[in-house]
Amino acid sequence: MIRLLTVVFALPVTAQTPDTTKVILLDEVVVSGSYKKTSELNATQPVRVVEKSFLRDYFAGNLTQTLEHIPGVHSMDIGSGFSKPMIRGMGFNRISVTENGIKQEGQQWGADHGLEIDAFGVERVSVRKGPASLLYGSDAMGGVVEISPVPPPSENQFFGEAALLGKSVNETLGGSVMLGLKKNAWHTKLRFSEQHFGDYRIPADTVVYLTQRLPVEGQKLKNTAGFERDVSWYTAYRKGGYYANFAVSDAYQKVGFFAGAHGIPDASLLKDDGDSRNIELPYSSVNHLKITTHQHYAWDGLSGYWDLGFQNNHREEWSRFHTHYGTQLPPATDADKELEFSLNTFSSSVKMKTFYSGHWEHTTGWDLQYQQNCIAGYSFLLPEYNRLTTGVLWLSAYRPNKKITVSGGVRYDYGRLNIPAFRDAYLANYLQEQSYDNDMIDFYQWRSYPVDRKFGDFSGSLGLVWNPDDIHLVKVNIGRSFRLPGANELASNGVHHGTFRHEQGDASLNSEQGWQLDASYTYEHRNVSLTITPFGSWFGNYIYLKPTGEWSVLPHAGQIYRYTEAEAVFAGVEAEVGIDFLPCLNYRVSGEYVYTYNVDENIPLPFSPPASLRNILTWKSNYAQVHIEMQRIASQNRASRNEDPTPGANLWNMGATVNVPLCGTRVEFTLSAQNLWNVKYYNHLSFYRKVEIPEPGRNFQILINVPFKSKVK
Amino acid sequence: MKTVFKFYLVCLTSICFVTFSSCDKDDDSNDTTKPVIDLLEPEEDATLKIGDEGGIHFDLELSDDVMLKSYKVDIHSNFDGHVHAPSLKATTEATVDFTFNKSWDIPGQKNADIHHHEIKIPANATPGDYHLMVYCTDAAGNEAYLARNIILSTEGGEEHEHDH
Repeated sequence: MIRLLTVVFALPVTAQTPDTTKVILLDEVVVSGSYKKTSELNATQPVRVVEKSFLRDYFAGNLTQTLEHIPGVHSMDIGSGFSKPMIRGMGFNRISVTENGIKQEGQQWGADHGLEIDAFGVERVSVRKGPASLLYGSDAMGGVVEISPVPPPSENQFFGEAALLGKSVNETLGGSVMLGLKKNAWHTKLRFSEQHFGDYRIPADTVVYLTQRLPVEGQKLKNTAGFERDVSWYTAYRKGGYYANFAVSDAYQKVGFFAGAHGIPDASLLKDDGDSRNIELPYSSVNHLKITTHQHYAWDGLSGYWDLGFQNNHREEWSRFHTHYGTQLPPATDADKELEFSLNTFSSSVKMKTFYSGHWEHTTGWDLQYQQNCIAGYSFLLPEYNRLTTGVLWLSAYRPNKKITVSGGVRYDYGRLNIPAFRDAYLANYLQEQSYDNDMIDFYQWRSYPVDRKFGDFSGSLGLVWNPDDIHLVKVNIGRSFRLPGANELASNGVHHGTFRHEQGDASLNSEQGWQLDASYTYEHRNVSLTITPFGSWFGNYIYLKPTGEWSVLPHAGQIYRYTEAEAVFAGVEAEVGIDFLPCLNYRVSGEYVYTYNVDENIPLPFSPPASLRNILTWKSNYAQVHIEMQRIASQNRASRNEDPTPGANLWNMGATVNVPLCGTRVEFTLSAQNLWNVKYYNHLSFYRKVEIPEPGRNFQILINVPFKSKVK
Repeated sequence: MKTVFKFYLVCLTSICFVTFSSCDKDDDSNDTTKPVIDLLEPEEDATLKIGDEGGIHFDLELSDDVMLKSYKVDIHSNFDGHVHAPSLKATTEATVDFTFNKSWDIPGQKNADIHHHEIKIPANATPGDYHLMVYCTDAAGNEAYLARNIILSTEGGEEHEHDH
């Protein structure tokens, strides 16, 4: 066999790839493919890598909605502006999103809290399905969305792009400008993006909520307008064995809430105010500041990595001052600020990796994360807390030959969570006035219980990749994951202002632990490709909000919902078949299904995504691409207790991209249309589902991208 | 090779079929169906008389496919439109915001016709807009609820449709 210099993308298990490229001499030809191919070959779990063309063709101005086109990924939407990702039926703090190797901390907590990432700035995303606690510690139980930088251009140059976005469904006008410079060892990029959108259109004149028919004037959902402004700066330096990057980003979003979804519906609040672009109360604003650095040094046969990050997620909800407790007066300043959270997270991750042998690869690492949450506002939702987690890990990969990779590892994490008590004096006073006894007052007046808990958890995984030839690829993996219970699950007690349920934590909850077995089979030959990825998981203590049947005495509350552990099972499959009928004509069908089961209660779990099937026909040439898509969303009748079943829908979408040579560059025009027949349908996972608000109607979208570059010496 | 492709296609198609047919029907034996609330009286935007000794004419029909458990009535002020701001209180020092929060158990039945006059609005209640909410649970913990806008007034008030 000819000896070849082969680029091996080191540490296949982390997002850090272009920067951890290591050139080594191997006995045999191992891989010579793209980043995408390499990632998929190295990981023992299903990994789906999407890059520029996918991100452009399915661009939505919102990263989560773009990723929804990957089988197994869903978007939990809060109107048209915010979305949070879900992988194989797990969302919130059961999955992680990482950028530049650092876990993003913010969106997990609230039902109405989206992911703050500039969609224009994302160039490469890997979606890792299945348990990933081994790599990322707590929270990464269901999967990880890894956002990573792409390698710099090879030649010295000044480069950049300008993008313009327009959408009809909510009259979005957005744009982004990026300027970059590659000079010798340096690579730097600066990006500014902004999006403004108005109230979004739904194919309905009324919505029915709590037996009341509410008007949707002009088919526009009042006060769902918003805007987003993001700035980011990225710099990388490479010299010899040393590589470093530094990234600073700030994402700001402000989006109004549909007043009908905030409390008891009242038609008087939904009258058209003649302005579909204003953001009135109630609204939420969130700012995510992130500073990260990745450091890498390569010695002969050994590499060291260090990721360091600081983040501040500052979220506020504003709603006209209201209280049920007569003694509470509006605050002197910011009287309408209902809630404020400021979550500071410091993260560090150190890894060492050896390549001494061509067959063995060992990685050892130490992760540390410290979090502090501060709160303010006239209402109360999530308690303040401090959380420290630290873990050590060992990973090994064995490649006896080019066809087989066996890899596995173990990890131990220690976590400590400290939550101070919070007593609501106004509530205590109110209950006293209502002549409840002291025991009752004591039960209700603590909006958060004092909690000081320590946790210790093992996680691990063992997997096999078998690549007998270029046609077949088989993967099997078994993993154990964990998640620390959240501050809300341990300590909260009171009416949740968004769900209008009395939610009560349980300070004695254990870490949630689960086992998952997954497999994947990929076939690629000539004009046909097939991928099928079945999985099954078992949780001994899945934490969920259980209706207790005990009435709460608080105004606006029905029964008490308590965070409870239950045995739970998840199972499902994603499958995808692609056929090139002609070199330029491709047909792809992908489907997915997730089954969830609460063993203790013999019912499904909440937020189970419906099965769905996408049929896509694509015509492609060197300078243009056109696709038409039929998406079938099945009805979800397996709803959990106090969750409504959701009917299915058939949606038609289209898209086209054309490259036009103009002034020495190729301008990209991407036109797309979603929900062509303006079908009225519901998203089972949407925040607005419970208020019976359908999904956005027909949308036409245009994205114009103007890349440019010029050589510099 | 062609036959192999076909085989895969058949496999995928069958998976899809199984998938879609399996979610057409809920085969769980456990109950996730909510009870049904039909509140006949008071009606939406009903005006109720403050200090009426006879109590609110309350007429409710509840039903569940398996077994009812309990229902709760919650009345609280809705001053200043949607929000519950205390700013209006300055002019109504002598009165008290009316609140009502009580539950009744209705075990062992699938249907319940409820009719009572137990909710009494005291003479010192602050007039204005209020919310009336009815919650109902079944034996399994499924919960339904309903919200009504009502007005409390010292004058007039709704006539009872029949005598008791």
